[in-house]
Amino acid sequence: MLSGLYLWQQLRNDKSGLAGLSIVLIFFVLAVGVWAGLLGQDWSVASGARWQSPDANFWFGTNILGQDIFQRSIFSVQTAFEIGIVVSVFSTILGAFLGAIAGWYSNSWIDNAVLWLTGVLDSIPFYLFVAAVAYALQGKGWAMHIAMIATFWTTTGRLVRAEVMKLKSREFVLSAQAIGLPDLQILSRHLLPNTSHILLVQTSIAFVAAIKTEVILSFLGIGVQNGVSWGLMLAESTQEVLAGHFNNFLAASGMLFALLIGFNLLTDALQDAFDPNQAAL
Amino acid sequence: MQYLLQKMVHGLLLILGVTLVSFILMVWFGPDQTYTLIGKNATPEQIEDIGRQLGYDQPFALRYANYVGDLFTFNLGASNSSGEQVSSILRKTIPVTLALMIPGFVLGNLLGIALGLTAAQHRGRWADRLITGLSVTGMSVSFLVIIIVLQVLLSTPYGLNLFPVRGWQVGDPLSYFRYVTVPTLSLIFVTLGYNTRFYRAVFVEESGKDHIRTARAYGASSASILWKHVLKNSLVPITTRVMFSIPLVVISGSLLIESYFGIPGVGKVTFDAITNGDQPVLKAVVGLTAVAFVLIQVLTDFVYKLVDPRIT
Repeated sequence: MLSGLYLWQQLRNDKSGLAGLSIVLIFFVLAVGVWAGLLGQDWSVASGARWQSPDANFWFGTNILGQDIFQRSIFSVQTAFEIGIVVSVFSTILGAFLGAIAGWYSNSWIDNAVLWLTGVLDSIPFYLFVAAVAYALQGKGWAMHIAMIATFWTTTGRLVRAEVMKLKSREFVLSAQAIGLPDLQILSRHLLPNTSHILLVQTSIAFVAAIKTEVILSFLGIGVQNGVSWGLMLAESTQEVLAGHFNNFLAASGMLFALLIGFNLLTDALQDAFDPNQAAL
Repeated sequence: MQYLLQKMVHGLLLILGVTLVSFILMVWFGPDQTYTLIGKNATPEQIEDIGRQLGYDQPFALRYANYVGDLFTFNLGASNSSGEQVSSILRKTIPVTLALMIPGFVLGNLLGIALGLTAAQHRGRWADRLITGLSVTGMSVSFLVIIIVLQVLLSTPYGLNLFPVRGWQVGDPLSYFRYVTVPTLSLIFVTLGYNTRFYRAVFVEESGKDHIRTARAYGASSASILWKHVLKNSLVPITTRVMFSIPLVVISGSLLIESYFGIPGVGKVTFDAITNGDQPVLKAVVGLTAVAFVLIQVLTDFVYKLVDPRIT
């Protein structure tokens, strides 16, 4: 079972894992700052001239509309965390729930139905699925979130299903059954907590996938509808770079890269911590 | 035989599922097409008439059956925005997409296998660390960022200015090379990190197995171990990987690359359909690609059986 202390002991000796954790925490503080109304609040104000170079007022310069690129890239941290947290948490919960049910009732019709659903969702090319959802929801801002949650849970579901199938013949489960605990209680109290290592890693992976996907979707016009994000900044910058103005592009891609590599390093460290065999390979 | 039958039933159920999902999202829940087709000032008779044509007065099951029937007979209707038959649009654009995406997809996988093998062979040493580190870096860069950087570096006066900025005027091999290079490099860079990591893990696991240790103990050369045992035994995970990355890399990738570079393939058509809400195009592309991908999966299962009769 997952213990914070154990995790910390493992992470403490993993230099790149610690670096990843620090990067993620710094970005999280920035996101909280934006939420609290302390940072990046003037992201939509056109206070400067077009394409100003970086100076004391505009740390990263201004974009084509004269908006402060620094403010915009900081505000986008919040957008990224909003999307990342919503998508990763809900898709992991959905995957844990469906995967656990399927694994517990393996080879029953429920299991087959869940497997069929994962197969179907994995067979529809993802961006086309998002396009279809966005079309059905008529350009609502959360079409993107729904589409990602609806598809990202399948990997978690498969892994949890396999783990539950493995665990359900173990003694602690058999004895829980022997004393007559109801299935739901065994699942929620005894089995799901034992899949927490999978859930934590999958949450982290889904977070990365959600942020990367937002960039592409925003460029395609079916992502963030109101507000600003690194994806929208990059979409703006596609015209600017051809005219030789790189500030918008550098700010958005730099921040995006830093957060992604932080999360990727953290994910690797978590995986290694939970699976010493794999780390030794 | 039972295996093949089982896989075919499985494939049929998946086709049922993917068509159901695309039907529900785009036809059943999708926006009312009436006014798109006949304009704002229609008479009640016209509205009723077009509603009948679109099947709005029919029950769910019948409309779904019609959707599937149309999909399989390629009776896809006409695009709302250009009026052209969707089937003729697809005939024109699919070859462009294939010509655009295949080189990058193939090279991305081959390079991934080569780098994965190198890393696995030098496991734990600096070559392995370098390759693994670069993979994580590659995984952390957005597809869009890679495209923009390569475009600026290779196709603009701010870089080498060697290739066209965008477009697709392809007639002869030279012009094909000029237009396909930047998109191909983008595709390689975006997939290489993921591919390398995946293939490295496969090869590391394979080379840790008992029969490899035995072969080594019997004094087989490392080249023969590599080719005859490690690579050959990894064929199944490699095939699975290649097949399952088709929808993400080739189809989703073409959506982004073609809309960015203005290349007239299926991805660009789909992008325009998303922007204009062009339902006939969208439902045809989503439905057909999903069905095609299910067929590829079933085919892969058959190939496995040919390669390795033990598989059940």
